[in-house]
Amino acid sequence: MVPRLEMLRTGVVWHRWLRPRTARVRAENLGCREVASGVPPLGSKSLGVLNIFDRGLKRKQKNWAAQQPEPTRFDYLREEVRPRDSGEWRGPLGLQAQVGSQIADRVYDIARDFPLALDVGCGRGYLAQYLNKETVGKFFQTDIAENALKNSLETEIPTVSVLADEEFLPFQENTFDLVVSSLSLHWVNDLPRALEQIHYVLKPDGVFVGAMFGGDTLYELRCSLQLAETEREGGFSPHISPFTAVSDLGHLLGRAGFNTLTVDTDEIQVNYPGMFELMEDLQGMGESNCSWNRKALLHRDTMLAAAAVYREMYRNLDGSVPATYQIYHMIGWKYHDSQARPAERGSATVSFGELGKLNLMLQGKKSQ
Amino acid sequence: MSANGAVWRRVRSRFRAFPERLAACEAEAGAYGRCVQASTAPGGRLSKDLCAREFEALRSCFVAAAKKSLKGGS
Repeated sequence: MVPRLEMLRTGVVWHRWLRPRTARVRAENLGCREVASGVPPLGSKSLGVLNIFDRGLKRKQKNWAAQQPEPTRFDYLREEVRPRDSGEWRGPLGLQAQVGSQIADRVYDIARDFPLALDVGCGRGYLAQYLNKETVGKFFQTDIAENALKNSLETEIPTVSVLADEEFLPFQENTFDLVVSSLSLHWVNDLPRALEQIHYVLKPDGVFVGAMFGGDTLYELRCSLQLAETEREGGFSPHISPFTAVSDLGHLLGRAGFNTLTVDTDEIQVNYPGMFELMEDLQGMGESNCSWNRKALLHRDTMLAAAAVYREMYRNLDGSVPATYQIYHMIGWKYHDSQARPAERGSATVSFGELGKLNLMLQGKKSQ
Repeated sequence: MSANGAVWRRVRSRFRAFPERLAACEAEAGAYGRCVQASTAPGGRLSKDLCAREFEALRSCFVAAAKKSLKGGS
């Protein structure tokens, strides 16, 4: 302890303290150890396949997050909050539970029951606790993190836990009536392929209801880090992972073969006491950065500067800082003959030119 | 890997003290934030060490708050 105090007193030594001791990787470890600055190992993946995220690291992060003790002080925040209301600072469970309940609402809106359902990237099972036995007969939960499946939350539906990657679902074609996915597709490397896999395992007339983080998520954090890093270090590197745009999502779903698409966006703003609490919350959710091109180190100076910038640029009246989570909700159906289709060409009985006389036409029909 | 996570917990506890130390330096943090924000206005250009003076003030206040809390704690 004593040497550290010495370093604190002299400001000159501040920067030396920042450099971590293990920054240099020993030569003999280069082959077997994962290099922190994130270069994908040689010989992995064929050329042309997207490899943005280190899935092995994401698995470790989710495993770590899943075995954190549940913060019981945030239990009351698990109740559903109306969207667009800014919520209080909530622990790692609040946001995922809220989105889970929104997805469950959409599932209830579909006037059907689903004997067999699949949850892709389930985490600790936030969705399952909001669904009931009448709607979903049997529930398969998949995730890449085994700890998440082991520590899954209570639910009344019979569940089977499967350890699987979102891009490599180990199920046969035409298996599931319902596939749901809550806030896990934004870490998938090959999103078109993941959506195609989901389409593959769905039965005809099956439905996919999903939610993922979208373009504007955490823009305050991204801007603050960018500005602070530019001012402190002269340049910046991305610390927030890249998100899909809403228009691209529609195209991707169509390309995967889904019919009757619905994509809508929802913005949830959560208030935190400060930037450090936000970063800790993200880590607790298992949402730490795992891109290959991430910088290994975030200097304490830069963090301090970013926290000051975040506070100054975005704070609320009561002193807390907001964090925006933009969530894309999507619904897609697998084709079945019974589904409504666009009408045949040439089957129109009324022309658009008569639209202005619509009221007269209706009145005429009523009087007849 | 680590035996019982002691190092990680120690580092984390130090990191968890950051918010209250930052809260003790609200004026300096505000000054630095305003300087950086001013550079984002049209016509401004953000370059390295543009707000170095404000940041030095913030850092020394932060270090002083750290010293004070360490002395008070130990």
